[in-house]
Amino acid sequence: MNASTTDRFVIPIGPQHPALKEPGHFEFTVEGETVIDATVRLGYAHRGIEKGAEGRNWTQSLYLLERICGICSHIHSTAYVIGVEQMAEVEVPGRAQAIREVIAELERIHSHMLWLGVAAHDAGFDSLFMYTWRDRETVMDLLETISGNRVHYSANILGGVKFDLTDEAAAAILKGIDFLEERTRHYREVVSQDAFFLQRTRNVGTMTREEALQLGVVGPTARASGVARDVRVDAPYIAYNEFPAQIQLLGAGDLEARFLVRIDEMLDCYRLIRELLAGMPAGELTAKRMPRKLKPGEVISRVEAPRGELFYYIRSTGGEQPDRVKVRTPTLCNMGSVLTQTVGHNLADVPMILVGIDPCFSCNDRAVSVRRAGRAEGQAWSWADLRRYGINYYRRQLNLDTDHRPTDLLTY
Amino acid sequence: MALDLFNLLFFPAGLGLIGAGLLYQWADRKLLARFQNRLGPRWFQPFADAMKLLGKEEISPQGSSPVLFAFLPMLALAGALTAALYVPLFGLAPVFSFPGDLIVTLYLMSLLTMCIGLAGAQTRDRFSLAGALRVFTQMFAYEAPFILALLTPSVALMLAGQPSSWQISELATAAANAPVSHLLTLPITFVVALVGLMGKLELPPFDAPEAETEIVAGALTEYSGRGLALFSLARAVELVVGLTLVTALYLGGVGSGPLAAVLFTLKTIGLLVVIVVLQTLLARLRIDQTVNLWWRIGSVLVLAQWLLLILYRVLR
Amino acid sequence: MTLTQKPLQRVEALLEPWMKPDKTGRPAGNRLDIWLTADDLLPVVATLVEDEWGYLAAITGLDPGVATGELHVLYHFAEGAAVLTLRVVVPRDAAEVPTIRPLIPLAAIYEQELSEVLGVAIVGAPARGRLFLPDDWPDGVYPLRKDFQLEQFNDKEQGGS
Repeated sequence: MNASTTDRFVIPIGPQHPALKEPGHFEFTVEGETVIDATVRLGYAHRGIEKGAEGRNWTQSLYLLERICGICSHIHSTAYVIGVEQMAEVEVPGRAQAIREVIAELERIHSHMLWLGVAAHDAGFDSLFMYTWRDRETVMDLLETISGNRVHYSANILGGVKFDLTDEAAAAILKGIDFLEERTRHYREVVSQDAFFLQRTRNVGTMTREEALQLGVVGPTARASGVARDVRVDAPYIAYNEFPAQIQLLGAGDLEARFLVRIDEMLDCYRLIRELLAGMPAGELTAKRMPRKLKPGEVISRVEAPRGELFYYIRSTGGEQPDRVKVRTPTLCNMGSVLTQTVGHNLADVPMILVGIDPCFSCNDRAVSVRRAGRAEGQAWSWADLRRYGINYYRRQLNLDTDHRPTDLLTY
Repeated sequence: MALDLFNLLFFPAGLGLIGAGLLYQWADRKLLARFQNRLGPRWFQPFADAMKLLGKEEISPQGSSPVLFAFLPMLALAGALTAALYVPLFGLAPVFSFPGDLIVTLYLMSLLTMCIGLAGAQTRDRFSLAGALRVFTQMFAYEAPFILALLTPSVALMLAGQPSSWQISELATAAANAPVSHLLTLPITFVVALVGLMGKLELPPFDAPEAETEIVAGALTEYSGRGLALFSLARAVELVVGLTLVTALYLGGVGSGPLAAVLFTLKTIGLLVVIVVLQTLLARLRIDQTVNLWWRIGSVLVLAQWLLLILYRVLR
Repeated sequence: MTLTQKPLQRVEALLEPWMKPDKTGRPAGNRLDIWLTADDLLPVVATLVEDEWGYLAAITGLDPGVATGELHVLYHFAEGAAVLTLRVVVPRDAAEVPTIRPLIPLAAIYEQELSEVLGVAIVGAPARGRLFLPDDWPDGVYPLRKDFQLEQFNDKEQGGS
C-alpha cells in the first residue's frame, strides 16, 4: 500500500447526517482534510408527485403540488395556478394577485431566515442560529394570522386566492416587518463584520461569474456571482409588474456574498410588502368562473422561488386532469455547483458550501415505495391503501380500533 | 489516614469533584442557552445524563480492540481525577503537593486529550478517524502556548529574582501575595491560558474535533454507553481542574479559611462566565485556522509577554 | 416587452437554418417552439451556447400517449422572459437522444432524470447508477410513461425477485 491510498478515504455525508436536514447522500473523497472528489445520490425523498398529478383533476393537483416543499409551498402552487389560469384564459383580479405577492414575499423572508440559521449552525455559530430562528417565528406567526397555517398556507386556488387580507392582518404584518427589518440589519452587520464568521465565509466556495453561467446556477447563488437573473424582474408574474422587485446583485461569488445577497433580498422584501400593503387594489378575490375542463394545450410558467427559478411545464389534453406536469426546482440547478465547488476545499467547508445553495431535497426529489420488513420484495401502495393505512393509524392512536388490519402494515 | 481517604474519595477530590464538575457543566450549558435565547437544561440534567449513560450497554465496534475501547475512557477519567489531587480545588489545600507538581498536573491534563484521540484512531469509523486526526492536530496547536502560559507566573518570579518554584501551592501563595496582581503584570499570558483551556476542553470556537455538522461526533462517534459517560465525566472534571489551575496561578487566594475558599470558588465561576461569553460570541474555527491561530498568534503572544518581563527586569 | 421580443428576434436569426415553417410554432407571446430531429439537436444547442443565448432551464420528457408511438423530449432555454423550446420527437420503442452535457454540464442531471423516469436513452452519457429512483427499482419500468401501471410494477417486482 502506498501513501496516496492510505491517505485518502471516503467520508460519506448522508443519507442521515447532522449537517443534512433532509436525506441526500454525498461521498467526499478526502486526502487529509482536503476534498479531492465528490459524488451525489438523490431521490431519498422522491414521492412521484409528477406522476401523482396526472391522476388528479386540476384542483386536486394544486394541493398535491403545493406539498412538494414545506418551506416554499406557496411558490409551487403559484407557479401551477398561473400556468393553469393562462391555459384557461382566466383573468385573475388584481387584489388576488397582490395578496399572492404578499404571501410570496413573506415566504421568501421565512425561507431566507431559516436558511440563515441553518447556515450559521453549519459554520458552528449557534448563537446566530438561535436568534434567527427566534425571529423567524415572527414571520411564521404572521403567515398563520393571515392563512391559519404556518407552512402550507394554501392561499392559492385556481382563479384567485382563498382569503382576504384584512386591515388587522395588514397592521400586524407592518408591525412584524418593522421588527424583522431591524433584526435583519443587525444580522447583516454580524455577517459582514464578525471576524471569526468571516474566516469561514470570505473567499470560501468562490464561484466566478463565468463559472456560474457555465454551471447554470439560479437564484441567490447566481446573483451572488454577479449573474443578473431574477424571474420577478425578467418576466414579472402575478403583481410584480405593478409592485416590482429590485434585483440584488453582488460580484464576489463567495459564501459571504451568498449571505449578503439573501439578507439584501429580505430587506427588499420588507420594502415590497410595505408598498403592496399601501397600494393594495380593491376588488374581488377570485375570477368569475374557472372551467373544470381545460382546452388542449401547454404552458410554461416560471417563478422566482426563494432558492431561484422554479420552472413548471403543464400540458392539457382537454380533460379534467393535467396530462403532464413537469417541475424543475432550483436546487437541481444548483446541485451541480456543490460538487464542483467542494473539490479542493477543506472538509470543514463542505457543509458550508452545500448549505450555501440552500438545498431543498424534497423539492429535488419528487414514487412511493414503502418496504415491509422481513420481505425481500418491495411493495408499492396504491392511494387507497395509503388512505386506509392513514385512517387505521389514527384509529389505533385514538384507541378506536375496531377493524384495523393487523401486523403487515405495522411492521416496517 | 481516614481523613486522607475521605479527601481522596469524597471531598474535595473524588465524588465531590465529579459532582462539582457536573454542576460547572450545567452552569456552562445553562448560561450558554440563556445567552442564545434558549431555556437550557435544569440543574440536574448533566447528572441525569451521566446516570443514564453509565447504565447503558456499550457496543464495541468491529475492527477495534475491545480492551482499548473499554480501557481508554477509564484512563481518561483516572488521569483527570489524578490531576485534581495536585490542584487547590475550591481554594482548599491540595490533597498532595510536592515541588514540581505543576509539571505533573499539566501532563495528566493532556492524558484526556490523548485518550480521546486514541479512542477515535483505533476504530474504523471514518468520522472517528477524521475526528482523531483533528484532536491530535489541535493538541499540537494549543499545547505549547497553553503550557508556556501556565509556566509564566513561575518564570516571572524567577525573573524578578524571587524564590521560584514549580509547586502549585507555592505559586498560588505568591500570586495572592504579589504586590501587583498577575492580571495587571501578566495580562497576555492570562488570556492565552484561559483560551488555551477552551482549546483543551474542545469548547467553541475550538470544537472542530467534534464538529457535528461535518464529522458527527468526531473521535467519540462510536461511543454510546459507559465509555461516553466516562469521557464526559472526565471532561467535567477537567473543566474544574483547568479553571482551578488558572485561578490559582494567576489570581491566587488559596488555603486561608472558609472565606478564601468561597472567594476562590467565585473566581473560578467568574472565569467560567468569561469562557461562556466567548463561546457565545465566536463561530467555530476550521482546524487549519486553529493551528494558525495558536502558532502565529498564541505562541508569539506568550513570547512577547516573556520579552516584556525580561525588558522590565533589565531596565530596572 | 423588449425583454421578450429582442431575445426572440435574436434566436430566430440564430436558428434560421433549422427553422422550417411547418416545424415552428409560437404557442405564446414569449415562446418559440422548434421541432427538430435528434440529429439536429447538437448543432442547434452548440449554436445557442456559442452565441450565449439564454440558459438551459429544463428538459421535459413527455409521453403523448401509447397510440402515437412517440416520446417527446423538450429542451427549454430561457433568456429574460423569452422561452425557446426545442422539441425532439423520438420513436417509443427506440427512444434515444444524444447527450448535450459536453456543451452544458448541468444537462447531466436533467438527462439522468429523463432516462430514469421516461426511459429515453442518452447516447454518449457514461453509465452510472440511479440518481432519483430507488436502487431496487426494476429495470425497464418507467414511471412517467402512460402505460405504467402500479399493477405492472408489482408483477415485475415480484417476478424479478
